[in-house]
Amino acid sequence: MQFLRLPLKYRLLIPLIVVLLAVLIYPLIFSFWVSLHDYRLTALHEVQFVGLANYIGLSGKMSYWNALRNTLIFVFLAVGLQTIIGFGLALLLHRPSRFRNFFRAVLLTPMFITPIAVGLMFRFMLNLQVGVLPYLLDKVGVTIDWFSPRLALFSIILIDVWQWTPFMLLLLLAGLESLPVEPFEAARVDGASAWSTFWKVTLPLMRPVLIMALIIRMLDAFKVFEYIYAITQGGPGERTETILWHIYKVGFRFFRMSEAASMAYVLVLVTLVLVVALYYNMKRGEYRP
Amino acid sequence: MRQKRIKMGGFLAIVCLSLAMVVGLVGCVPAPVAPTTLTIIMEEVPDTDVVKELIPQFEAENPWLRITIEALPYAAMRDKMLTSFLAPESIYDIVIADNPWMDEFASAGFLEPLDERIAQTPDYDFDDFVGPLRDIGVVQDKIYGVPFYNYALALIVRQDLFDNPDVQAAYEERYGKPLAVPTTLEDYLEVSKFFTEQGIYGAAMQPERGYKIFEEWKNWLYAAGGRLMDAQGNTVLDSPEARRALELYIEQFETSAPPGSLSWGFDDALRSVAAGEAATMMSYNWMLPTLNDPDGPAGELAGKFALYEVPGGRGVLGAWHWAIPHNAVNKDAAWEFISWLTSKEIDKQRVILGGAPTRTSVMTDQEVWEKGFGREYYETILSILEDAEPLARGKRAEEVIEVVGTELNMAVARDKTVDQAIRDAAKQVEEIVRR
Repeated sequence: MQFLRLPLKYRLLIPLIVVLLAVLIYPLIFSFWVSLHDYRLTALHEVQFVGLANYIGLSGKMSYWNALRNTLIFVFLAVGLQTIIGFGLALLLHRPSRFRNFFRAVLLTPMFITPIAVGLMFRFMLNLQVGVLPYLLDKVGVTIDWFSPRLALFSIILIDVWQWTPFMLLLLLAGLESLPVEPFEAARVDGASAWSTFWKVTLPLMRPVLIMALIIRMLDAFKVFEYIYAITQGGPGERTETILWHIYKVGFRFFRMSEAASMAYVLVLVTLVLVVALYYNMKRGEYRP
Repeated sequence: MRQKRIKMGGFLAIVCLSLAMVVGLVGCVPAPVAPTTLTIIMEEVPDTDVVKELIPQFEAENPWLRITIEALPYAAMRDKMLTSFLAPESIYDIVIADNPWMDEFASAGFLEPLDERIAQTPDYDFDDFVGPLRDIGVVQDKIYGVPFYNYALALIVRQDLFDNPDVQAAYEERYGKPLAVPTTLEDYLEVSKFFTEQGIYGAAMQPERGYKIFEEWKNWLYAAGGRLMDAQGNTVLDSPEARRALELYIEQFETSAPPGSLSWGFDDALRSVAAGEAATMMSYNWMLPTLNDPDGPAGELAGKFALYEVPGGRGVLGAWHWAIPHNAVNKDAAWEFISWLTSKEIDKQRVILGGAPTRTSVMTDQEVWEKGFGREYYETILSILEDAEPLARGKRAEEVIEVVGTELNMAVARDKTVDQAIRDAAKQVEEIVRR
């Protein structure tokens, strides 16, 4: 009962530490241990230590790197478009208008739908046989196969943009509303145009909010899975195979957990590099009085 | 007054005593034993609904047993089953195993051998199941599964088009020979192109990556004389026959399949044929009754479809088997249900209700012909099943299907050349098998 002698502030931390150990630290350590072994769910009696073989083996797995490439394209394009459109909408909604609250409510709706339902919805809406969008386009003489090899990843990106732009809008609108009014008044007194006020005042002041929004959304976009599961299952070919879908396939369909764990750790590394780079960027540009 | 109270007290005492005796006597009667509930994991398909229809009959004959079916979509089944196999006690008393899972589950020790139970079951007649179907449940000379239903692939055609004198005349004029249901890949391609020229797509195909294209293309591979593996389990996919099969498949897709169908699975192909958009498709044999059902998806076209063996004569055989998990709690009761449902008598009822057949005796039974879908249908299925080859075998069949199916789809999408796709597929299969 040594811990009872600890100061109260430390004792109060104990439940949190226990929970963190159970739900975060243990799974992390276990998955790392799994990645160093040959661990297949259908052969648990044959588990053996293989060191870094799973990590080294990844270098020759073209499907894995292709999935990582697809994911990076997805993340950059989807989050990029969401930021641009979200910022534009936030600027529009920031202006005083009679229907401001109504527009805010309507624009936020897609965010509240569960992603798997969104995936299924678009799967049918964009289906060439039964989809409403191809039907309407056909009426004006345009035929587009949204899930053709060329367009499939782009279609998935558009679906993500449809669903998650409201999230960007929400964060950026909150950011805009918390900006101090003095710099804008000073800009007006100095006779700055709307365009130069935006570039020279709004954007620099919004920088920390923008980067935080980018980090949050980017982390989420790396986890894209539901649309792939519901719509393309990674096809055609490997055009929409994203990293999480690939890891799921190797781990839960082929039951090769050790390989899947090593893939997940490499993904964590890639994500970490990106997040640290963005965070460093944010810190560098921070205003210091 | 006092006397009256005593009398009243005596009366109450007698009542209480009587009640206590009644309660005591009731206590001596053994409490009714709660029936054992068997939980079965199944797929959300029409064949599961047929089984559900038969359950009341089983429960009436076996009042000490109750059946609960957990019907799931295909994609969710394997994970749940694996979790159950790895637990100290299985959640499921009975599972159904798809063809590609059988070797994997049996080799991992997840399934209970059924040889002794089959031998001890009177009049079970295991050999009555069609040979190739029966063999899928046998792993390393032990029986781990008994056939539930088949999904062998067949050629489904619009018979009314083949029988139409105008169409026949047009074909004869164009190709100088009579129009007939194709029996070779070359004929199939020719007939498909012809129908496309006539304004109806020649074939609704299912080139969706992975399982679907693999399942369909393997028929083309057999017809071209190729194989995935030889009898010793060596990969023989990298062959001129495989290249030929893929070239013809792509040619058929590009010339005769509805546009934008690169990601189609069997349900999309079914919709296309049912809507009168395509004249043929290679699909599960049990789709024929669905298409010919007047209340089914084909509407006015119902009754105009017919079933044939795939070109080349050797089709892909898919099958589901009943199995008992090694860690099931009620193994005897589980076998009681499986052996009842797959017995000759009940299997006949199942097939009459619309289930896909597995037993030879059922497919040659006059009553089944009359009450089911007709003699021709069952005889065609029997001949398809007798020549069919399993979709895939081996401990890593699921992975083999996925990687070959991805390479095939890439070739159809023109992301890879035929040569590259076959070479890459063969290389990956070799790696998977060696692992």
